[in-house]
Amino acid sequence: MQRVKNAVRSRSIHVCVVDTGSCNGCDIEVLACLSPRYDIEQYGIYVHNNPREADVLLVIGAVTPQWEDKLIALWEKIPEPKAAIAVGNCPISGCVFNRHDSYVSAPASKFIPIAAEIPGCPPRPTEILSTILAIAPLAFKDFERERK
Amino acid sequence: MKRTVDVSFPVGPVHPCWKEPARVKCETRGEYVLRAEVELGYMKKGIERIMKGRPWQEVMFLAERVCGICSVVHNMVFIETMEKISGIAPAERAAYLRVVANELDRIQSHLLANFSYCYTIEHETLGMYLLDLREKVMDLLEKLTGARVNKAYMVPGGVRFDIGEETRHAILGSIPRIREETKRYRGMFSGGPMIGLRSKGVGILSREDAGRCHAVGPTARASGIAVDCRQRHPTYMKLGFSPVVRDEGDNFARVMVRFDEAIQSLSLVQQCLERLPEGPVLAGGICRAGETVHRGEAPRGELSYFVKTDEYGRIAEISIQTPSIMNIEAAAHYMMTGAVSLADVTSIFISADPCIACTER
Repeated sequence: MQRVKNAVRSRSIHVCVVDTGSCNGCDIEVLACLSPRYDIEQYGIYVHNNPREADVLLVIGAVTPQWEDKLIALWEKIPEPKAAIAVGNCPISGCVFNRHDSYVSAPASKFIPIAAEIPGCPPRPTEILSTILAIAPLAFKDFERERK
Repeated sequence: MKRTVDVSFPVGPVHPCWKEPARVKCETRGEYVLRAEVELGYMKKGIERIMKGRPWQEVMFLAERVCGICSVVHNMVFIETMEKISGIAPAERAAYLRVVANELDRIQSHLLANFSYCYTIEHETLGMYLLDLREKVMDLLEKLTGARVNKAYMVPGGVRFDIGEETRHAILGSIPRIREETKRYRGMFSGGPMIGLRSKGVGILSREDAGRCHAVGPTARASGIAVDCRQRHPTYMKLGFSPVVRDEGDNFARVMVRFDEAIQSLSLVQQCLERLPEGPVLAGGICRAGETVHRGEAPRGELSYFVKTDEYGRIAEISIQTPSIMNIEAAAHYMMTGAVSLADVTSIFISADPCIACTER
């Protein structure tokens, strides 16, 4: 049973994208993954933007004050097993926004556990794609067996 | 005044149709939308506060990161403001190359906006066609500037590097195909009966209302107001630019204006590359003290920068006004009021092409 679950979970990944205050550049690179050239759905990845049915949360942006509590609430809504991926420099370090006098409180790992990071300002669609594909089998492997 | 409201219906901030977080609160009676209000503030990063006191060499990169979709125009308007303050004239070849970069950026932005609209009205086929076409335009941008999103292509006095003869021919060679495809998708959009039902007569913004709420860009031009900052730009004046205007003022008109502008931008790129003058791409100059306001036409409308510098070229004060804020207000207060169905709220909001990252900075 566990083997079947492992196989299914690595080939059927539902993604929720949350923008916590970025410049929009990473958003459109995630959106570009949907295009027929990269075709994210041929790998079994579906971008729904619905946390209730998501497996992977893509966090974009250096966390702004509005998102400090909402990001945690959003993370708690996602059913287990789940993984969060930080896309771009912003959720990793705050990028250019992490300066004196700005409103951001990067990194995002202060608020939720981040499983993988994709550096770049912004990263290329292929990098986003390969990271989701690489992290899913690792993060979701033997979930039920390990929980016992 | 007492209002009878069935449901106060919130849309967002995390919504399947929206790329960025924003919240629309709709007061409804049945399916009828009585009033709508947009709540912003999810993306406020305080970018203008970071910019203050920094040299222009750093602010240049920050200005570009105000918005990721229209990063070229933010770069261009900021650099032109610095040039206006210090009295630097860009090299002639560079002025044409700037227009090429700016227009390619406008094409990809308009195609993305139209993709979002098609996706919102659940016409995924056309949406995917447009997104595929956008990738082809992104390839040209990457060939020209070396990056996909944050390019930092322009510097005071010109552009960072020259275009090679090979790249010039590659861009010129792929323009006819992109134009043909854009025209084909424009035909699919204008001829689709189901698209017409979801778009024609939905979210009407009359000419008077557009003037009253200071709508800018394609939103204003779809309501019959011929306002475009490119009319006053010296390089565009040489190219014989005139804005695209429609007068229906509904969702359909806004999307069609974007299609027509994309086709127009392609011919501007072609003209620029065909009559590209020889010479250097970088003129000399020093950034000096002064203050000024400069306006440019972003894909979403008029973008203005107020900049005050000191004698070392550091930014003492800066204020950015982006186009989306006016268009979002127009969408909330005029287009959505009286919408016959709640299902139209998302499509109306997307048709105004809101960019929340620009709006809040």
